[in-house]
Amino acid sequence: MCVDDELLNTYLDGELDEPWRTQVEEHLGYCNACRQRLDQLRQLQQRIASAVLSDEDISQRQARVLAYFEKSRFPMKDKKMHIFHKKVKVRLVPAIMTTAAAFVVVFIGAFVLFGTNSSQAQDILPGIATPMDSANVRQVSETQSVTLDSFSLEQIVQHLDAMGYAVKLEVKAVTPLE
Amino acid sequence: MEIQSNDEHAFKQVYEQVFPILMRVVYHVTNNQDLAEEICQEAFIRFFDKGMVFPSLNDAKYWLIRVSKNLAINQVKRKSREMVMVDKLKKYPTSHSNTKGGEQVLIEKETRKQVQDAIEQLPEKFRLVIVMKEYTDMDYKQIAQVLHISESNVKVRVYRARKMLESLLTQE
Repeated sequence: MCVDDELLNTYLDGELDEPWRTQVEEHLGYCNACRQRLDQLRQLQQRIASAVLSDEDISQRQARVLAYFEKSRFPMKDKKMHIFHKKVKVRLVPAIMTTAAAFVVVFIGAFVLFGTNSSQAQDILPGIATPMDSANVRQVSETQSVTLDSFSLEQIVQHLDAMGYAVKLEVKAVTPLE
Repeated sequence: MEIQSNDEHAFKQVYEQVFPILMRVVYHVTNNQDLAEEICQEAFIRFFDKGMVFPSLNDAKYWLIRVSKNLAINQVKRKSREMVMVDKLKKYPTSHSNTKGGEQVLIEKETRKQVQDAIEQLPEKFRLVIVMKEYTDMDYKQIAQVLHISESNVKVRVYRARKMLESLLTQE
């Protein structure tokens, strides 16, 4: 009795278990019709398999879909780096400049407020050490401009008298009081 | 090895191995490469976004095949509904990078078209089984696991699908 198609298909796929496998092989050894049928099925299988989507076709699409995931699902590493760089570039530079300016102000302020002797200052800031010496620092208060109007006649006369001047007062005209 | 689907490293490992299999299954079910790409992408999006844990790479693979197979079947059903409404649905051209000779490419293209057209005519349950058998490295047992059917059922469907394909291809 010949092997049926279902069994031959299973044999062709390498899925036929023992002892049927050995029995089918023995049968194929002497049955031309079954061998021919097996060849036909093998050719059919090869024809079907030849229509397989090629690796070339797949690889392009595989790369494209992966690129989508890199963009939409795995951006964490890159984006974090990106933000970090931005922060460094945009925020850190002004921060550094501000800090430097503050440092200079504090540094100079320390000289002004607490003073140093000139030799120390000469070592630290040779260019500005001498003018920064505490001996050269003067406290300047607001002063008003002084004119003769600021004093009474009596004060002026007393002052001139004290200075040794002979003062003679003369009345030229007097407007009578009404 | 356990697979965490939203872990980048694990995802890429699965993606590298499974994408070609998915692409082949979906393409041979839908007969449309662009659509197959979209479906594969959608299946992997679901895979990643659900953040599931699979006991092994094979389990992840079976899940992905199952999801993309369902998406493909839905697309095919939608397509056939559209074909009833519109006389003929325009088929997407398949892209070939022509490193081979033009004649050889034409023959291959023609063979592929004949086979694809024949596969397209198979009822869904036979089509899925034969596509998985012929275009992936899965055996009866693995196909049975993906489709949640018995191994003997797979064996019968493979046999019947081939018989139908033989008939369709020898008619031409």
